[in-house]
Amino acid sequence: MYWRLNSSLSSIRIKNWGGEFTVFQPESGKTHFLNEMGLQILTILDRSPATLETICKALSEYFSLQPDKDFPGQIAKTLHRFETLGLITRVKEHA
Amino acid sequence: MAKVDTRPDHHRLLLETIVQPASLTGYDNRQWELLLRLARRAQLSGYLAAKLEKDGLLDSIPARASNLLRSSLIQARKQQQSVSWELNRVMWALDGQEIPVIVLKGMAYLLQDLPNAPGRMFADLDLLVSKENLGQIESSLLKKGWQHHALTDYDERYYREWSHEIPALVHPERSVEVDVHHTLSSPLGKLKIDPLPFREAAVKVKDAGIYVLSPEDMVLHCAVNLFQNNELADDLRHLLDFHEMMLFFSSQQPFFQQKLIERANQLGLGNPLFYSLYFSRLLLRSAIPDDLEKQLDRQPGWLARRVMHHCVPLALLPQHPDHPSRMAGYARMWLYWRSHWLRMPLYRLVPHLAYKFYLSVFPARAETSK
Amino acid sequence: MKVEQFSLDQLRTLLAGSGLRVKAGPFNLSIQTCLPSLTDQLYRMYSHYSLVDETEIAEFHVRIIPKHSIRRPFVRLIQFQVDGRAPFPPVPVEQALATLEWGINLVIAMRVNHLLLFHSAAVERNGHVLLLPAWPGSGKTTLCTALIHRGYRLFSDEFGLMDPQSGEFFPLPRLMPLKNQSIGVIRDYLPEAVLGPEIPGTLKGTVAHVRPPQESIERADETAKPRWIVFPKWSAGAALRLESLPQSEAFLLLATNAFNYEVLGETAFDAVTSLVRNCECRKLVYSDFDSALAALDELTDG
Repeated sequence: MYWRLNSSLSSIRIKNWGGEFTVFQPESGKTHFLNEMGLQILTILDRSPATLETICKALSEYFSLQPDKDFPGQIAKTLHRFETLGLITRVKEHA
Repeated sequence: MAKVDTRPDHHRLLLETIVQPASLTGYDNRQWELLLRLARRAQLSGYLAAKLEKDGLLDSIPARASNLLRSSLIQARKQQQSVSWELNRVMWALDGQEIPVIVLKGMAYLLQDLPNAPGRMFADLDLLVSKENLGQIESSLLKKGWQHHALTDYDERYYREWSHEIPALVHPERSVEVDVHHTLSSPLGKLKIDPLPFREAAVKVKDAGIYVLSPEDMVLHCAVNLFQNNELADDLRHLLDFHEMMLFFSSQQPFFQQKLIERANQLGLGNPLFYSLYFSRLLLRSAIPDDLEKQLDRQPGWLARRVMHHCVPLALLPQHPDHPSRMAGYARMWLYWRSHWLRMPLYRLVPHLAYKFYLSVFPARAETSK
Repeated sequence: MKVEQFSLDQLRTLLAGSGLRVKAGPFNLSIQTCLPSLTDQLYRMYSHYSLVDETEIAEFHVRIIPKHSIRRPFVRLIQFQVDGRAPFPPVPVEQALATLEWGINLVIAMRVNHLLLFHSAAVERNGHVLLLPAWPGSGKTTLCTALIHRGYRLFSDEFGLMDPQSGEFFPLPRLMPLKNQSIGVIRDYLPEAVLGPEIPGTLKGTVAHVRPPQESIERADETAKPRWIVFPKWSAGAALRLESLPQSEAFLLLATNAFNYEVLGETAFDAVTSLVRNCECRKLVYSDFDSALAALDELTDG
């Protein structure tokens, strides 16, 4: 199963506050507060739809992390949160 | 012989402004104040603001009036965005289930860019589905985080057993009510409306799975809501919907009015369409041929017409905010009873209204009966 | 013309008749009541307000009317109305002034969207606005009362009114409701403050209003740009701390507490961004006024 962005990152307004981000989502009119990890997930998905596994791998590389066994679970939780907010959607195929 | 206009001044002021927005550039401050208060009461300040903006008049009126109207327009736009987003989320929750969803009322007008949509205030998302799909939609939404409004047992029973509807659903992170209907009128009411022909004629809009009623049905549904399902109090905006849609669809399709009459006859909805045409012409000077409603199979009798002719404007148009008229109060009370009479048999109506009255006196008791 | 130039009789006639039309910052109010006790209180508490020019529009029409209740037949009740509609249930007649003031705030908060409305006290010093946003335990009204009796100009104890395009803030000097212990605290610390009657039993406990200083009302047309945002917290016995606050946190607190942030959408997003970028953001913990005022004076000097 893949995750993809609902609309490209360029259509979303993002302000950087030194590692914290305020994100305005024009479709819903809502403002979201993200940390660096959250924003990086959106950046990864902006390049192409990706599976949880790919996202975790890309994040570990970007932040030079040694992921523990809880890491994918935490990222999955964030993805579900983003899905509820309407930022991303699950897709079966890498269309 | 010219008829003398016996309408109260404040009604004339509001109607004149709606029919001819340019007239308000000449208003003095007291007329402005009254107009702004009446428009707010009729929930038409967003509509009025959108009209003025379109005509480039929003900057040539007094700044205080412009600020208030702009404020309403900003709010209306936010409401429209919220309901649009809610529809987006509902379709997400139903993704892959192939359930056709017909969007009704405000959101449907917006989806089609109808002329009554800009600045229109509406807070709910109304959907029509088949009875068979009702349960599946309810459980899909509940699974994705929507919740039923906290209801008293009485209200829950009123919805499920008597009205045959499901209680409104709300997602706790947003505040838009999603009303999922499977009928277009109360199943207990005297006028039975079969939703099937409405569903069959529905037309697809750009997004997958989203439908709206056909133009004739949309106009008829508006008429039914006005004169069958509602109490009419402060409901001018719905008559305005009717008026704008009549004008728009008539200009788009050469035989629209004829098709509308045929459809009303076919579905047995002559009465509500008769009144809508009549009052839209009377109050909003709609350009509708005088004899159009004469082609309807069903028409109200002369006595009903006389009574409605006097009562409906008093209810539809807002009361003067400082000097409410007693006559308008009686007219509204009568129409309130009429609407309930049309919707429910007497043996359920009387206990229902008695209970509602009890709640208005003892609101705290309703909480404890949960 | 000001309210104080009327005789009490003239004011009574106006309130009971076509309405008292007064300026409240950028808005004009029309107030009606035939309640003698409320008329007396308004005569004293509204004395510095100017009347609305004859040709101007009043945005908000409010009324306090006597009310009978089937449920409470032996209590004298009143009700707040705006445009003939009542947003609150009736309350005992003693609470008329508090209900009127809250009612006016509610109407402003519900209807105004051409300005961004922060839930915040705002005062001006040296030509710039200091915002004191509301958050639980902030005691913004109490601190605001102290500041405006020590050289700061009152904008508002409740609303930070910002023009989202220009970034200017508008003064809205209205009565300031002190609650419970704050009433005694202010009486002790500022004997010169003019307070209205103590009103017990309201939803927020006992309330007494502070009358805004005359100068704040007279200069209510002078807007200003903000320069400092201080999130205050009163904490018994705490040593004074004035620390910097991360801008992201200031954004979050301001946006989530604003009355119409969501309604204004992207406009509000941009406005709060530039507000926070252009201001010094601080967190203030204090237990006594002297040291808090000294710290805020130092912050706002020059």
